[in-house]
Amino acid sequence: MSFNALIRKLLNKPDNSRSVAKKRLQFALVYDKLEVKDDMLEDLQKDLVEVISRYFEIDRESLSLDIQRCEGSSALILNTPIVAAKHQKKNQEARAGA
Amino acid sequence: MDGKVIVVTSGKGGVGKTTVTASIGAALALQGKRVAVVDMDIGLRNLDVVMGLENRIVFNVVDVVQKKCKLKQAAIKDRRIDNLFLIPASQSDDKSIIKPENMVWLCKKLRREYDFALLDCPAGIEQGFKNAIEAADEALVVCTPEVSSVRDADRVIGLLYAHSITPKLIVNRIVPKLVEKGDMLSHVDVVDVLSIDLVGLVEMDDAVVVSSNTGNPIVQQKDSKAGKAFNRIAMRLDGHPDLPVEDPMGHDSFWRKIGKKLGRKKQE
Repeated sequence: MSFNALIRKLLNKPDNSRSVAKKRLQFALVYDKLEVKDDMLEDLQKDLVEVISRYFEIDRESLSLDIQRCEGSSALILNTPIVAAKHQKKNQEARAGA
Repeated sequence: MDGKVIVVTSGKGGVGKTTVTASIGAALALQGKRVAVVDMDIGLRNLDVVMGLENRIVFNVVDVVQKKCKLKQAAIKDRRIDNLFLIPASQSDDKSIIKPENMVWLCKKLRREYDFALLDCPAGIEQGFKNAIEAADEALVVCTPEVSSVRDADRVIGLLYAHSITPKLIVNRIVPKLVEKGDMLSHVDVVDVLSIDLVGLVEMDDAVVVSSNTGNPIVQQKDSKAGKAFNRIAMRLDGHPDLPVEDPMGHDSFWRKIGKKLGRKKQE
């Protein structure tokens, strides 16, 4: 740490533009890497519907898939109402059919 | 033995790629290597003026690729520095005229003819960039200590890794006073964010402006801090990879001088 930086710390001065720059940069890079193309989300949704439908009867229309971001991290949120669970037998048939 | 093709790239424009290419090329040649610097910025050539060779262009890199001339015919010999050659870009074509497979062929020729070939990559990540990195052996990523430049560097580093090239970083235009004041990202911040190997730190230096005005190599100006930094980068690329990277911070800091006097170890 330089002498100047030490003085600043002792005087308890607010964040300087250097640390602001670094924080903004780190966040920007995280967000950049999480950027997903719309058609990729659509493909994912189709695949998920297919898999879930093997086990549950779902309302395809009201299914929603979204990426939510909060500070520093992001989550994939899938929300779907379940109409009914499917029987094991049907499951296997569906798998054999696929 | 075959030479090395090194691409100099950055993503963002205006961070000093062309100056870095010209300077490291000149420094390597001064160290006795046979060097070609190649302007890959087809349509917007500039390496020729930075090197002061703009009046001697006959053929260009597109002519070489299209086999209208031999590689040697397009290579302009620098009269001040032995073994330094410029292969200029064409000014009338656009980037799509060169295809990646042409680059494989060109780089093979360059390796055979020179110890080092430095490719000055255009800004951006489109065709021109793809061409420049296509057949390169190594990459130098240039960035300045600014948010926009570091972000673009990060993108380019990702693309280079995807192309199986492990790049090395040059942080250009560091203003030690601003860093010390806490108003500029330090090289430590930049390396921390990008997490790649550092190969050189170049201080902001007015002499670079003067040397590009006149077309004279900055590495031949003995008292230029940037020139010295480029010479050291060239040494690191050529057989001295462990030469410590000099910290431009606090060249004339009073406290640091006292520290040195008291026998504190010099920071590397």
